[in-house]
Amino acid sequence: MTSEPTTVYVPRDSAARSVGADQVAERIAETAGPGVRVVRNGSRGMLWLEPLVEVATPAGRVAYGPVRPDDVDGLLAAGLLDGAEHPLRLGPAEEIPWLRDQTRVTFARVGVVDPLSPDDYVAHGGLAGLTRALSLTPEQVVAEVTDSGLRGRGGAGFPAGIKWKTVLGAASELKFVCCNADEGDSGTFADRMLMEGDPFTLIEGMAIAAWAVGASEGYVYVRSEYPDAVATLRTAIDAAYERGWLGKRVLDRDFGFDLFVRVGGGAYICGEETSMLESLEGKRGMVRAKPPIPALEGLFGRPTVVNNVLTLGSVPMIMAAGAAAFAGLGVGRSRGTQVFQLGGNVARGGIVETAFGVTLGELVEGYGGGTRSGRPVRAVQVGGPLGAYLPTSRFDLPMDYEAFAAAEAMVGHGGVVVFDDTVDMAAQARFAMEFCAAESCGKCTPCRIGAVRGVEVIDRIVAGRDRTRDLKLLDDLCHLMTEGSLCAMGGLTPMPVRSALTHFPGDFGATTEERR
Amino acid sequence: MSLIKEQDYGTPARSGEATVAVEIDGKRVRVPEGTSVMRAASECGIDIPKLCATDSLEPFGSCRMCLVDIDGRKGSPASCTTPVAEGMKVRTQTPELAELRRGVMELYISDHPLDCLTCPANGDCELQDMAGQVGLREVRYGFDGENHLDLPTDSTNPYFDFDASKCIACSRCVRACGEVQGTFALTIEGRGFDSKVAAGAGGTFMESDCVSCGACVQACPTSTLQERSVVELGMPNRTVLTTCAYCGVGCSFKAELRGDEVVRMVPYKDGKANEGHSCVKGRFAFGYASHPDRQLKPMVRERITDPWREVEWEEAIGHVARRMLEIQAGHGAGAIGGISSSRCTNEEVYVVQKMVRAAFGNNNVDTCARVCHSPTGYGLKQTYGTSAGTQDFKSVEKADVILLIGANPTDAHPVFASRIKRRLRQGAKIIVADPRRIDLVKSPHVQAEHHLRVRPGTNVALINAMSHVVVTEGLVDREFVAERCEDFADWERFISAPEHSPEAVEEITGVPAAELRAATRLYASAGNATIMYGLGVTEHSQGSTMVMGMANLAMATGNIGREGVGVNPLRGQNNVQGSCDMGSFPHELPGYRHVSDDVVRGTFETLWGRVLDPEPGLRIPNMFDAAIDGTFLGLFVQGEDIAQSDPNTKHVSAALSAMELVVVQDLFLNETSKFAHVFLPGTSFLEKNGTFTNAERRINRVRPVMAPKSGKHEWEIVCEIAQAMGYPMKYDDSAQIMDEIAMTTPTFAGVSFAKLDQVGSVQWPCDDAAPEGTPIMHIDGFVRGRGRFVLTDYVPTQERSTRKFPLILTTGRILSQYNVGAQTRRTGNTAWHPEDVLEMHPHDAEVRGIRDGDTVALTSRVGETGLRVKIDDRMPVGVVYTTFHHPVTGANVVTTENSDWATNCPEYKVTAVQVTLRHPAPAGMV
Amino acid sequence: MTRTPPHIRMANEIAVQFRHRDPAWAAERIAEHVRAFWDPRMRSMLVADATGATDGRLDPLVLAAAALLSPAPGPVSGQRSSS
Repeated sequence: MTSEPTTVYVPRDSAARSVGADQVAERIAETAGPGVRVVRNGSRGMLWLEPLVEVATPAGRVAYGPVRPDDVDGLLAAGLLDGAEHPLRLGPAEEIPWLRDQTRVTFARVGVVDPLSPDDYVAHGGLAGLTRALSLTPEQVVAEVTDSGLRGRGGAGFPAGIKWKTVLGAASELKFVCCNADEGDSGTFADRMLMEGDPFTLIEGMAIAAWAVGASEGYVYVRSEYPDAVATLRTAIDAAYERGWLGKRVLDRDFGFDLFVRVGGGAYICGEETSMLESLEGKRGMVRAKPPIPALEGLFGRPTVVNNVLTLGSVPMIMAAGAAAFAGLGVGRSRGTQVFQLGGNVARGGIVETAFGVTLGELVEGYGGGTRSGRPVRAVQVGGPLGAYLPTSRFDLPMDYEAFAAAEAMVGHGGVVVFDDTVDMAAQARFAMEFCAAESCGKCTPCRIGAVRGVEVIDRIVAGRDRTRDLKLLDDLCHLMTEGSLCAMGGLTPMPVRSALTHFPGDFGATTEERR
Repeated sequence: MSLIKEQDYGTPARSGEATVAVEIDGKRVRVPEGTSVMRAASECGIDIPKLCATDSLEPFGSCRMCLVDIDGRKGSPASCTTPVAEGMKVRTQTPELAELRRGVMELYISDHPLDCLTCPANGDCELQDMAGQVGLREVRYGFDGENHLDLPTDSTNPYFDFDASKCIACSRCVRACGEVQGTFALTIEGRGFDSKVAAGAGGTFMESDCVSCGACVQACPTSTLQERSVVELGMPNRTVLTTCAYCGVGCSFKAELRGDEVVRMVPYKDGKANEGHSCVKGRFAFGYASHPDRQLKPMVRERITDPWREVEWEEAIGHVARRMLEIQAGHGAGAIGGISSSRCTNEEVYVVQKMVRAAFGNNNVDTCARVCHSPTGYGLKQTYGTSAGTQDFKSVEKADVILLIGANPTDAHPVFASRIKRRLRQGAKIIVADPRRIDLVKSPHVQAEHHLRVRPGTNVALINAMSHVVVTEGLVDREFVAERCEDFADWERFISAPEHSPEAVEEITGVPAAELRAATRLYASAGNATIMYGLGVTEHSQGSTMVMGMANLAMATGNIGREGVGVNPLRGQNNVQGSCDMGSFPHELPGYRHVSDDVVRGTFETLWGRVLDPEPGLRIPNMFDAAIDGTFLGLFVQGEDIAQSDPNTKHVSAALSAMELVVVQDLFLNETSKFAHVFLPGTSFLEKNGTFTNAERRINRVRPVMAPKSGKHEWEIVCEIAQAMGYPMKYDDSAQIMDEIAMTTPTFAGVSFAKLDQVGSVQWPCDDAAPEGTPIMHIDGFVRGRGRFVLTDYVPTQERSTRKFPLILTTGRILSQYNVGAQTRRTGNTAWHPEDVLEMHPHDAEVRGIRDGDTVALTSRVGETGLRVKIDDRMPVGVVYTTFHHPVTGANVVTTENSDWATNCPEYKVTAVQVTLRHPAPAGMV
Repeated sequence: MTRTPPHIRMANEIAVQFRHRDPAWAAERIAEHVRAFWDPRMRSMLVADATGATDGRLDPLVLAAAALLSPAPGPVSGQRSSS
């Protein structure tokens, strides 16, 4: 008697692979034989549990983890394929509280589907957004995105609908949609996980954007450090062409859209949108002055939508479920969900997608479970290497663009990096300047020279020769970089420096009086 | 006079109808839409501090010195990159802005040598100026931090140093190399603090693609890119505005001096021909003027085998006058004549032709334009009614398609080439008709739409086929033709004949019919299509026919009489246009009026007090023929080395040897002076006071920076010879000569030195109807009334390849050298081109067993010379190419007496030759 | 090798440009051109050669033009001052 093989899910996500997912998958396939179908899904985002193996059972998908290759034989023997008990058994995957308590919108399919199966994609609600969008006029799509309150997830939080409207209104026979997937911020990985775990969502989102603004060509600019994401995207794009989701007639409509992947060259600055456009044009990755804004004169001087992976990846859900569903989540002017990434010295790191408004404390202490070292949390850096360092006293802060800005901090791309009480905040401030010096494109003076001088001045402060004078100088420099830099790279570098000075003055050997 | 500094508005001017009103520091100003806040401020007298901005370059926004405060805008936007908006209110000076600017400057100076007092740019440094302007008093960072002060200086270029330790990484040089010059030799290497200017792929300037145009030096706000002459001589302290004396572009320069010594030549931003740009020749190659080879005293000898004897002016002039009169007494009034030079000023040329016509009493005057652009004068006069190009240079900024025929502007007219390249980068298309794959066919950021690789000598077949396509494919601008032209029907019948079809002439021209048709459609369907051409058109047995063929094509497509169109000769020498305008041709009085015209002659006769000959005189080749016949025995040669530059050297030498008196007026002893009996020292352009007229008919002032080194102006010498021959001819100064030109020549009626000093320059016609001159001609009608279509039969040249001479030699110029090289060979430019080489296709070399660097014999039916070979696939098979910059090459030893049927312009571009191996290259040389 | 006299070579070179035109019209154009651009001595040499034994060295169109040129050259028609 033949029966359907049992489906076992082992993530293909590079975070899972880095802790042995490939070997686990191989071992399961070898040992279990033809009775098992191994699906390489994306990651559920519970990185401390990777490799997280799931088994499809009549009662739903049962999770085990973290599974080492050596565990496989024992798990199979214990009845893994039936979802049997085992010390590594975590129960039904979607009942794991960490996951259950999230609101997964952008990441709804990540970890669930086979990322490269168009059928799986459609079976899980894929294409509903694009189908609906194509039944509307571009103006209606732009209005829907505007109404959803979706803001750019790359960090700046600019309303996506307004940007799209500008591009839609620009007269040009050639327009572009560019996806910024140069995810260079330390402690961020959501773009990668979406591209590896659900690439069709990004493709669909870009097609919707193209329809909405009248673009015919799209580019995904992926950093070279993400080879798996590049490969996955390229395979998915090929499949999308085969299915008619891309190409001359998208979904058999009179609408053509071609999509290409371009790989960056390892420069952080190419995550800045105008540098990215320069790089896409084959030039040196150097920031352009704005205006002209890319929406009017972007790639090759043509009107261009530039959005982050998560922004474009949110669009299919918005179009499928309607603007109101998305706008119904969140607080203030921060609508919908944000895909937070917990990292650093944290007990439970990974993806937390939840509505805006969750507090920093809930993320770090609740989801994150405090530090991995077990020592007390001392500081959290939110929003990447240019984000502010916040002390535990600010754990009440709601994750909300405006609330963070008021606290001289930023939500950014949603990266949350945790430090315990052994951290030296003067060294962290110095690192911010050093990072800027290493990654500056070199175009504007405050960033090019200022960052190098910043490192030197912090060293002098720590050495303590003329602290009062040097603290004033550092303050002036931070002011100059904030106000005078050409782009956000130099403009935001003072944020971690100043937040470290504000919240942890003792680490600089300074008294509060001296700082004023 | 002190140093002239043009106002720098920071960003380029925007053109456009729509304007925007803004308020800056309480001042209201209205500027074209798209203008930057910085420029708008500058236009109402408010200078915003800046370092990376300069108005020759698009805004870049890197230095962050120009931050301003704008009502309703967050932060402090950079004024260079922020365009004005209606009603915008801007503040350029606030305590906050002052602090930011001082902060930026503090950063700059923390990585800059503190050697202002010993720096060559001391007093001419924008960094220094800005530090003062923002009130920087201390650098709190100290000077112990990371820095670039130990970076080495690149001194490989003969004219300027690149001192990387002084670089502020503003990218002005990099941007100038791209945006202004269009070469893209410079880049920024590394990132962040390590960002630094690099030439090419990290090598030296000389190893890179740098063409030494000086745009980077001009753009540098510090002493990083600095003329070595400034390093050596110090900062200049006065300026004289003048005009370059090399090619027909006629760039305006500021000669910057210390005392009488020229420290540097700086392109003048307000010069309309060049708008602040320059090339390696005009910018740097002026050292010949003070070269020790210059002969500064007159010399005389009885026979050309005698040694020269230096004499005083009086003796030299008396000798010339006496011998000329003796020859006339013995052989008739027509036995003497003169040749004027396109290198000299209008005033100097005018007096030469006046001397010949009034003092010699004949019309035996010709000019070196005979050997370059005489077909232009003939062809455009026949068709349009005026012997000059139709446009100004700026017009190319409006061209959608450029048809470039037989010209190599990146080498021969580099500053105009930069304009072309800029237009191409903006999206205009170029069609190149040339046997060689010149740089405008393919080079960085340039890709010709079509390269019509026409066989030398078959231009007319090519242009006829293009016109054939226009006529037979319905591309004629019927309205234009009906309203503005005549003889169209005959021409249409003629050109429609199947023998002119691209398919029929493909065998002749070597240009595939489909390519020619596509190119023609592109030309004819462009909004604005312009034709630019050079000596590759004129120096042919059908040079004049080709000029008329191009004129026909432009008329048939309605591409005449507005910006962006026209037919435009690229003149080889600085004053080709002017020397022709001044009546240097034996059949024409000033203003292209025939000597047989009684009314015109009457004007001059009245003024000059002599009866003028109503018959045309001898052209240069006729002079040589007559000399050999023994009927022409006395020649005055002004600034032209005919023995090197004219074709068939053997024949020219024989003619010169046969003369009884050859008078050479020049800077240097040259090939011609070997045959001379009298040498009269000439003046360099730095000593001249007068005007040059460039290829766009622009009359530019040439102002002296020093007194004539020989003691006399060239026009004075000519006047004194005429006087000594018994004809009273005297002027107080050269301005008086121009006044006489204006008085006698209607197209120059409104020209005077006073007017030029006031408005800068004018393009003739300049008269009461057009007091400011005429940039574009034939706007409301052709000068001759209606534009005339002329039938242009293709007649193959008699010069063709044979079994004995199977290759075709064609000649041209390279960037760093100029014509016979008398000047450029006496400058640092020899670093680029120490010798003439023979370019040859690999196939032609292979079958002859020739390798790169071998020395070969180049033989034609009239002579033989030796050259080194450069194997280069930019040549087509069957055609070889060389330049004529070095006398040792003697390229004209092999050129023949063939010439344009209408004007006798020599057929330099087609000579049947053979190439044979003489000496293999030494090992290791290739 | 004897060199063709320049005036004969040049006249023939002009004539060949008009070979495909009506001979009478061509002769007029050639004569006009020679009158406008050649010095009188060369012109009279041409006329002399054309009226003497030409031994076939002159193009028939040149011969026709030369006939129009003789006897003495007068002011050139159609050449007026222009700007």
